[in-house]
Amino acid sequence: MILDIDFSSPNNLLVLIIFMILILASSVFFIWKRIQPNALVDQMIKTTQSWWVMCFVFLFAILSNTVITILAIALLSFVALRELVSALNINIDYRSSVFLCYLSIFFQYFFIYKGWFIEAIIFLPLFILVILPCSMIISTCRKGFLRSYSFLSISVILAVYSISHLAFLITFIHLDNLSSKSLLLFLIFLTQINDIMQFIFGKIFGRNKILPYVSPNKTWEGFLGGLLSTTIIGCFIGFLTPFNYYELIVVSTIIAVLGFLGDSFLSAIKRDVGVKDLGVSISGHGGFFDRIDSLVIISAPFFYIFYFLLEL
Amino acid sequence: MKKIVLIFFYSLFWRNFLKLIIGLNYINREILFKSKQFILIANHNSHMDTMAIMSSIPIKNISKTHPMAALDFFGGNKIKKFLMRNLINATLIDRNPELQKEKPIQIMDDILKKGRSLLLYPEGSRGISHNISNFKNGLAILIQNNPNIDVIPVYLKDIHKTLPKGSKLIVPFKCKIIFGQPIQFDSYDLNDILVKSQCSLIELKENY
Repeated sequence: MILDIDFSSPNNLLVLIIFMILILASSVFFIWKRIQPNALVDQMIKTTQSWWVMCFVFLFAILSNTVITILAIALLSFVALRELVSALNINIDYRSSVFLCYLSIFFQYFFIYKGWFIEAIIFLPLFILVILPCSMIISTCRKGFLRSYSFLSISVILAVYSISHLAFLITFIHLDNLSSKSLLLFLIFLTQINDIMQFIFGKIFGRNKILPYVSPNKTWEGFLGGLLSTTIIGCFIGFLTPFNYYELIVVSTIIAVLGFLGDSFLSAIKRDVGVKDLGVSISGHGGFFDRIDSLVIISAPFFYIFYFLLEL
Repeated sequence: MKKIVLIFFYSLFWRNFLKLIIGLNYINREILFKSKQFILIANHNSHMDTMAIMSSIPIKNISKTHPMAALDFFGGNKIKKFLMRNLINATLIDRNPELQKEKPIQIMDDILKKGRSLLLYPEGSRGISHNISNFKNGLAILIQNNPNIDVIPVYLKDIHKTLPKGSKLIVPFKCKIIFGQPIQFDSYDLNDILVKSQCSLIELKENY
């Protein structure tokens, strides 16, 4: 049965928590709009509606079988790479190299699906070191070589290498009494909560800019508020991980700080290119990569933390 | 039968392919639903342009909209000709004046008189990207003869990146197709029509 949900299992408990948060947010904004309608509330309502859709898609993708999860993450990589490559304005004569970058997604996720750890680890670094420059050298154009090569490498690293570590979590981590998807849920839930909390604290208390040259909307108050609340929430949903409370505090803090830095990293790239968002795919959020930008730095370290802890 | 093939080919296959794989973003597409018969004028940089525009046309109009194609380029053999007529819904036009049985303008005019719509690339052949070159005279004559038909400018942004001239490899890049409001002509002098339609396309380009 599809509705036969067991709430003693950690994943389903998190699903319940997510929907409670969504219902709470929707009702708060509904009441707020009745009392004091303004542009900010309308914006928030739009954003919350998108959150509903995203949560359904995301939970379906993660909680169904492993193949669908890996496919969904591969698709995310594809869309993110497309957004980056389009925004970075790569010389059009290197189109065949761009095509190879898209192809690398297929190979990377194929290795992950097969469970070939070494291949999955070394494929993308070797791709950037060997295949990408070779394909660019034999193409007929020499103009803007370094520029295009760097842009393509950074697109592959951010969109494929970094995001594929989410799929690594599912295939290469085996825990005794938890499904490996719990870790993925833990990571994604916490980074998104961190984003939201930073936004809320920044909107309410924000005064002192933390990175005025990169992202003028981010404030010290938002950052610290996000850090504090993420750590508390991280401890609260610790049932998804095999950690004890001290480890949870450390891991949640790392997630909050690196999530913030990842967000700023992408902001810096976007600021340099001169665009505000990388797309318009998600109403009220921008492109897909704008939504998952806080994952780009944290996903790989999070995987290796687990990998080496379990090896010990 | 032909309509079903066209709906399957454009509205199902190409629209989803362009949207999901290529990352094409349709802007102001609802303008097409408001008019029954139209002349679409677009900038032309890639073979993908025709697919993008035809995939955005509403289902009820799709079999009545004809892109123009050059006979010497697309009508090489009989299979190609058959496919161009039935799958692409194109009208083939001979560019060589000596072999023409009928003037291209006359063919297009007949199509419009039958209540059908046209997709035109007034720059002539595929132009240089980011640049809208001068429009050909034929467009003005056509509009002058059929003043009641809506002329809708369509600007295609970055579509040439996915399939540029001389290439056969399709690479996904995010791109946009932007529809403008039907052009209101103040005077039906040939020169004024050309200037006005070119300006409206450039205006679309600059606003997006």
